[in-house]
Amino acid sequence: MKQVKRTFTEEQLTDVANHLLKDNPNKRIFAFYGKMGVGKTTLIKALCQTLGVTDIAGSPTFSIVNQYLTEDGESIFHFDFYRMKKEEEAYDIGYEEYFFSGNYCFIEWPEKIQALLPQGCVEVSLEEHQSVREIKY
Amino acid sequence: METYILGIESSCDDTSAAVLRDNKILANVIANQEVHKFYGGVVPELASRAHQQNIIPVIHKALDAAKIHKNQLHAVAFTNGPGLLGSLLVGASFAKSFSMALGIPLIEVNHMHAHILAHFIEDPQQPQKPEFPFLCLTVSGGHTQIVLVKNHFQMEVIGQTIDDAAGETFDKAAKIMGLPYPGGPLIDKLAKKGNPHAIPFPHPKIPELNFSFSGLKTSVLYYLRDQLKKNPQYIEENKEDISASVQYTIIEILMNKLRKAAQQTGIRHVAIAGGVSANSGLRQTMLQEQEQSGWKVYIPKFEYSTDNAAMIAMAGYYKFQEGDFAHQQVTPYTRYSD
Repeated sequence: MKQVKRTFTEEQLTDVANHLLKDNPNKRIFAFYGKMGVGKTTLIKALCQTLGVTDIAGSPTFSIVNQYLTEDGESIFHFDFYRMKKEEEAYDIGYEEYFFSGNYCFIEWPEKIQALLPQGCVEVSLEEHQSVREIKY
Repeated sequence: METYILGIESSCDDTSAAVLRDNKILANVIANQEVHKFYGGVVPELASRAHQQNIIPVIHKALDAAKIHKNQLHAVAFTNGPGLLGSLLVGASFAKSFSMALGIPLIEVNHMHAHILAHFIEDPQQPQKPEFPFLCLTVSGGHTQIVLVKNHFQMEVIGQTIDDAAGETFDKAAKIMGLPYPGGPLIDKLAKKGNPHAIPFPHPKIPELNFSFSGLKTSVLYYLRDQLKKNPQYIEENKEDISASVQYTIIEILMNKLRKAAQQTGIRHVAIAGGVSANSGLRQTMLQEQEQSGWKVYIPKFEYSTDNAAMIAMAGYYKFQEGDFAHQQVTPYTRYSD
């Protein structure tokens, strides 16, 4: 059940990212649900920044998975399953290696691989309400 | 002495093998349905399992088409990154074992450098090759970079996207319009019949030579949603104008930074590379710039602009001449900067 619900503007993005991580201190896998253009990539960029990523966090729509390094040398994986047609394609990229690595995994378009999401994965939904966004997790 | 290089590319969706004799292509094969028809197999669309099925047939076909025997090869060059790890591993593992079996050098190639070096493949229609130093705008589904190319080996990324890639923006705008994926080429086609100034989409304000495209994606989304409320047929009735305006905006975002880079560096030799360099609007704009600003513009042949192994073999050829070989322990990387 989703317990946290708040609305935010672009200026409050860093704040929201901080809360999302603090509210889920032992979680490493986060799935982001929401329509195209709602700000999934933008929120993940803010999360990466909060975690000290030094690379530019871009969109992995084409590459399926981007790997970023933090200042401490930790890897963070950013997925986008938008282009996937079948769940088997996730097996083909060896998704288990990433999901069970213990590293942070931020997943866009998780609906495409719903059955493969590990237990305990944080499901985050984003919606657009006029000029603000609503986050639930 | 003539040098024969085998190039192997498996960084993303396509498996490709090519044979070059010096800078001349003897064969450039990309795995698609036809290769599979030939070998009686089926192709999954994506990823490493498909690469595993493709790699041997594709290499066979390339050697056959080049009419050479594998023992004539001087080196094996392969894409070592950036790309999808599972996919890269297939090409890397094959290249390592093949070079070891043949007792010839192994050469690792950076996929993004290879896109740029594709300009040096011999092409009778474009005998003039870029002069160093030159600027290269590398634009594809996954990348958008301005690269300062100092020589065949030294390349510096001086600008890049901070979010979506240019090719991705084409595809996503097409998706919003209800066109099939990948929609970039369809937008290009529709744009030819539309007015590029019909819809003034906003331009991002991003410092330095970097790009941003996610704002444009969002404004296309909201603009069309608002119009559809007033007229449910809006997209159908205006798809040419929408395509032309989206394409114009993407190209202007790219060109503004490219012009700025040319101004800052004082370099007038400018090339484009990557899959989006096939876009006719971008090609035309580059040629106009040549007329107006006195740039010397280099546009690659379409077949060398998308992912292909000929460019990998070309990059391999330059490394071969330098004796820059890889060890068997070399491992693929997913990030550009590794």
